[in-house]
Order: sequence, then structure tokens, then C-alpha cells
Amino acid sequence: MKNLTYSIGFAAAAFWGGMAQAADDVTLQLKWVTQAQFAGYYVALDQGFYEEEGLNVTIKPGGPDIAPAQVIAGGGADVVLDWMPSALASREKGLPLVNIAQPFKSSGMMLTCRKDAGVASPEDFAGKTLGVWFFGNEYPFLSWMSQLGLSTDGGEDGVTVLKQGFNVDPILQGQAACVSTMTYNEYWQIIDAGLSPDDLVVFKYEDQGVATLEDGMYVLEQNLEDPAFVDKMTRFVRASMKGWKWAEENPDDAALIVLDNDETGAQTEKHQKRMMGEIAKLTAGSNGALDPADFERTVQSLLAGGSDPVITDHPGEAAWTHKITDAALN
Amino acid sequence: MMWVIIALVFWLAAWAVNVALARSRYHDTKLVRLIVPLLFGATLLVLWEGLVRGFSVSPVILPAPSVVAQTFANSTDILWVDFTQTVLKGAVSGYAIGCLSAFIAAIAIDRSAFLTRGLLPIGNFVAALPIVGIAPILVSWFGFDWHSKAAVVVVMVFFPMLVNTVQGLRETDQMQRDLMHTYAAGYVTTLTKLRLPAAMPFVFNGLKIAATLALIGAIVAEYFGSPTRGMGFRISTGVGSLSIDLVWAEIFVAALAGSGFYGAVALIERAVTFWHPSQRGRA
Repeated sequence: MKNLTYSIGFAAAAFWGGMAQAADDVTLQLKWVTQAQFAGYYVALDQGFYEEEGLNVTIKPGGPDIAPAQVIAGGGADVVLDWMPSALASREKGLPLVNIAQPFKSSGMMLTCRKDAGVASPEDFAGKTLGVWFFGNEYPFLSWMSQLGLSTDGGEDGVTVLKQGFNVDPILQGQAACVSTMTYNEYWQIIDAGLSPDDLVVFKYEDQGVATLEDGMYVLEQNLEDPAFVDKMTRFVRASMKGWKWAEENPDDAALIVLDNDETGAQTEKHQKRMMGEIAKLTAGSNGALDPADFERTVQSLLAGGSDPVITDHPGEAAWTHKITDAALN
Repeated sequence: MMWVIIALVFWLAAWAVNVALARSRYHDTKLVRLIVPLLFGATLLVLWEGLVRGFSVSPVILPAPSVVAQTFANSTDILWVDFTQTVLKGAVSGYAIGCLSAFIAAIAIDRSAFLTRGLLPIGNFVAALPIVGIAPILVSWFGFDWHSKAAVVVVMVFFPMLVNTVQGLRETDQMQRDLMHTYAAGYVTTLTKLRLPAAMPFVFNGLKIAATLALIGAIVAEYFGSPTRGMGFRISTGVGSLSIDLVWAEIFVAALAGSGFYGAVALIERAVTFWHPSQRGRA
């Protein structure tokens, strides 16, 4: 009996002690599989930046069948990484996502075409087959095509769209004239597959004036009314941005940290180091706070969809907030 | 909360009615046999609607059936385009090619011991290939349009059809074949007059299994690259763009198409194998 009392006493003491220093749990849902695209978060975890802020962070890798917006709607994450077009489209569908931080200043998306397919400029797209990612990643492309006045239903005056798997096979096999690529990933898969940069023409969304914001941090609007949640996110953003800046300065080490966290073992050191170098170019120039001008440009690009715009109403300033970044970065 | 209570009350009431019907002396009449499953289906829908509304489940997780019905009515044009692409072009053509070639292969296998030993194991091997493994390969061979989906369907339906037909052709016993022999019937006559009719229940068994496989194959194959239409395309991309209501509408179409396809094959079976014990006694 005495033993039992002691045990309960110890258990209670341990519980109390645990309560006192319990770190706040934060679950982050990535947009894609573990790779250098998310180096900042893995660095912050690995270097203990989250721990310093009293956070216990779980990073959930994404994949081709994981929609961050759906995960957060189902309560599977506190904060998700998503592209702004997809987040704003979700917002219009009734899921109130709010951008709290934007570590990516520039867009890494581009359309990569084969010269021998007869594409030299966007005027040559008509009548061609173009590979596009779907699952929420199609919005920047659809918005660009409607600004060019090209229908996406095929035919001579339009473009034929094929749903590209998350690889570059269609351009290698000549099934498509162009495919979607990211500067930091799929472009290099094409190069590794044996095509040289001289064989290719690339159209960066950034250069075409249709760039949209990628990989921002989004939370649910109603959670922002809770001061405890706001405080948790403030610490999370501060530590994450510290991780990003560390990754920019130490790209090779950051790539190795990402590799350590890749449970699938699918990534290679060469590819990740190269990816980290390209990612650093996209995060450069952002301190984590969303630039309202960039937001406005993204919204205008999505609204300017002719007969088939990606979003129909201006989401207004409710779709982003500086509340967190102001507190985190000053 | 009101919605949850209404749904639960409806559930209990429908349950009571069904139990009463099943115990009543009319339980074997046609009308009652139709009402019981219909009432059960309606109960499921009402429960779904009531729980989704009552607990205000987010429509991006699970839309209510009324929302799905509305989406269905508003997007019949999209649904028709997808149905044409996936079912009429992909599934039906693949089904026809796969079943016909398996039928011919079965007759050839039956005729030759060499093929029995050589072709059957290969058919077995192909059937064991996972669809997620072969679909991307067939897409890169036959292109993104419906041709590659038909090819996936052919691979999926070939084996069940082949095995069933081969088994069916072995249904007749030695006595029956000897009788044909005494009538001076050759191979072809024996085949068409005796063995193929005897094989029909097995052939239709294969056809029915293949009917559901064909639809699954055509939809899943669209996950691995497709033009911007088709039921598999819509289902696989709808989640990403949070059009879950449209995904459910597609699932409903797939269920209708699958049941219709199966039902059509079953009706033909009833007409062809009217003599078989399993079909006798059915009006």
C-alpha cells in the first residue's frame, strides 16, 4: 500500500514537472516530400532553434496525394505550406486560410520546352501540348494561359494540356513540347536525363510577369483569434526564419541536414546540394514578412483570367496578416 | 443538434418499419423486397446529411449528399465528358479487346497442350503485376489519351476471363464428347454445339468479374498522366483543389456506371444461359 502511494506521488510529481516545462506542440504540413525546398524548417529543427523557442515541432512531409489545405481543414496540422493561388482558391471555396509569413520572395516555377518542338516564345504555344501539374498547382499556369488568350481545351488556337505526373517523362519522350518544372528540382532532372541546357528554352513565370507566391505559411483564420496560438506561431515563424537564414549561409550543411531527415532515402546528396543553392536564390530578399505588393500582384494575376479566372473576387486584406511577422521579427 | 436528432429519429423509424415489413406476411412479395433495401439506402443518406449538418463538418472534408446532388445537377456537362472519356472510350474498348482476346486465347490453349503449359503461366504472371506498376509504363507506351487506359484494362481483364473460359471448356465430360463422336461431329461442331454452350456460365462469370475490373482499371490508370478530362483525372485532382463535392459526384457516376455495366452483362447471361440451374426458376 505504501509503495502504491509512493508510485502515485512520483507519477504526480513527474506529471507536474512535465507540465511545467512542456513545450508547445506545433505540427507543420509540408507541400511536398522532404527535400531542400523546406531546408529552413529542417535546419531550425536540427539546430534546436524551435527548442530555444519552447516549441516541439513535428514536420509532416507531403507528397503527390496530400493537399495541405485539406490536412489543415481536417485538423491534421497547425500550419501548412502552400502556394498562394491554391490557398486563395481554397479560401474562396470556404476554407479561410490566412498567410502569416512568406519566406519565399520569388517563384521558382517555369515552363521548360524543347527547342526541337518548335517553341521559341510564348507565341508558339498555340497548337502544342504542355505538361501541367494539377492537385492545386495548376492555377498559375491556367492564369498565365488566359492572360495569353490561349484556350486550354486543345485545338489550333489553344494548347492541349496533359496532366503531368510529378516527373519529367513527357518532355523526354516527346509527348509534350513543354513541361512544368521548378528551378530547383525538375529542371535538373531533365538535365540529368541527358538533355543539355542548349536543347531547352525556359520561361520563368517570374520573367513573364505572372509569378505567384509559393510556399507561404498558412493557418486557419479562426485560430488567429486565440492569443496562445498567435504567440506559438510568432515563436514558430521566428525560429523558422532563423533556420532559413542559416540555410542560406550554409547551403551544403543544410542539404545534409535535409538528407538526414529524409526517411524515404530517395534523395541524393548531389541533387539536394544543387537544390539548396537554387532555393537560396528564391528565399533571398525575404525576411519572412509578406510584401503586400507581391500579394496584390499575385491576386491581380489570378483575377485576370478572362472568362475563367482562378478566383472571382478580390480576397481583401483578410487573406494575410502581418500580426505574426511583426511580433516575430522586431 | 436538431439535424442530428432528426437523422437519428428517422434512422430508428426506418429500422422499425423494415423490421415490421420483414416480419409481416407480405415479406415475400415483390414490393416489400424492393422497399426494404430502398429504405435502408435512404436511411444511410439521411444519416449522412444529418450528421454532416448537425456537427457542421467542413465541406472540404465531407460534403452533405444534398450538396453532392446539387453539384451533380450543375456539372452534368463535365460529368458527361468524363464519362465518355473514361467509361465509353477507356473501359469499354479495353473490356471488349481484353475479353475477346482472352476468349480466343482460351480456345487456343484448350486445343494445344503446348500453349496450356506456356501461355497460362504467362497469363498468371501478368495478372500478378500490380496496376500501379504497369499503368505508368503503359502510359509512356500508348500516350496520355484513352488508348493507354484501354491497354491497362486489357491487362486487367485478360486473366480472369482466360482462366474462367479455359475452365469452362473443360466442363463437358468424356461421355458427352464420346456421344458427339458417335454422331461423327468434328472438332468445330463439338466446340460450337457442345463445349461452348457448356462453358457459358463460366464465360459469363469471367465477363462479370471483368466488368467491374475494367472500370477500376480505367479510373486508376488516369492517375498516372491523362488529358484534362476523365473520371480518374477529376477524382485525383479534385482533392487538391478542394472540389470534394465534384469528387463525390464522380464517385456516384462511377458507381452507377459500374452497376449498370454489371447489370447489363448479368441480363445477357440470363438470356444466354437460361437452361442453367442457377438461372432456372427466375421469371
